[in-house]
Amino acid sequence: MNFTLLSPSGFWNPLLWIAFLIIFAIIGYIIYARGNPGYKKNTEQVKPYLSGNAEPSKEEIMVRAGDIYWGFLEALKGYYDVLKTMHTGDMRDYILWYLGVGAIILFLLVGGV
Amino acid sequence: MGKLYSFKRSLWVFHASGGSCNGCDIEIIATLTPRYDAERFGIKLVGSPRHADVLLVTGAIPRDFADKLRRIYDQMSDPKAVVVVGNCGTSGGLFYDSYNLVGPIDEIIPVDVYVPGCPPRPEAIIDGVVKAWLKIEKLEKQLEGGE
Repeated sequence: MNFTLLSPSGFWNPLLWIAFLIIFAIIGYIIYARGNPGYKKNTEQVKPYLSGNAEPSKEEIMVRAGDIYWGFLEALKGYYDVLKTMHTGDMRDYILWYLGVGAIILFLLVGGV
Repeated sequence: MGKLYSFKRSLWVFHASGGSCNGCDIEIIATLTPRYDAERFGIKLVGSPRHADVLLVTGAIPRDFADKLRRIYDQMSDPKAVVVVGNCGTSGGLFYDSYNLVGPIDEIIPVDVYVPGCPPRPEAIIDGVVKAWLKIEKLEKQLEGGE
């Protein structure tokens, strides 16, 4: 049975892939086994060195996707402060806005005169 | 426990400076200059206590630094040794009994070797590190014997 797949863009053989996986796993284990076995698990010895400071919680140091827009939000802070107060989370307020703005548009288009 | 290899090659040292005036720190750097060249024996400064075998501490320890020094010591893997370089770390020195200092250092972490002086000469620091090396070799044998 032929396991080799030849295509115009490349070559694929699952047996070869498994062979390489085993070889690199062995190399990885050899490197791992040469590490210092003297360290104690679940102590400070396995924590990162941060100039002697305690490791902050992941929540404190996590960079969120929204942080990418920090400069944008900071520059338009006045605008966003107004928007935030308008976003009450109450559906009745939103419907009121919808009706109010709709009425203004209708007034402008149809004319109130 | 598996076999330990690190001390059969070289001794890596981490330097923690508390409230040092930099006098001792400059002498530590002097031990690495071509005149003394401690690195030819494999003794070198490293950037993390997790890579170090010996902890060199200089200066009197300010109150805020005590927990950091304890954490640095805890992060070193065994076997390890601590060398206090200079009078300030050994006894408080010039700053003895100051209100914002804690210590001496042996009240915060266990100390193996004291190198007194203000500042001590590089020869004395090298001698201290070699004494720490001997101590570590003993600890290493104990660890290997305990497996």
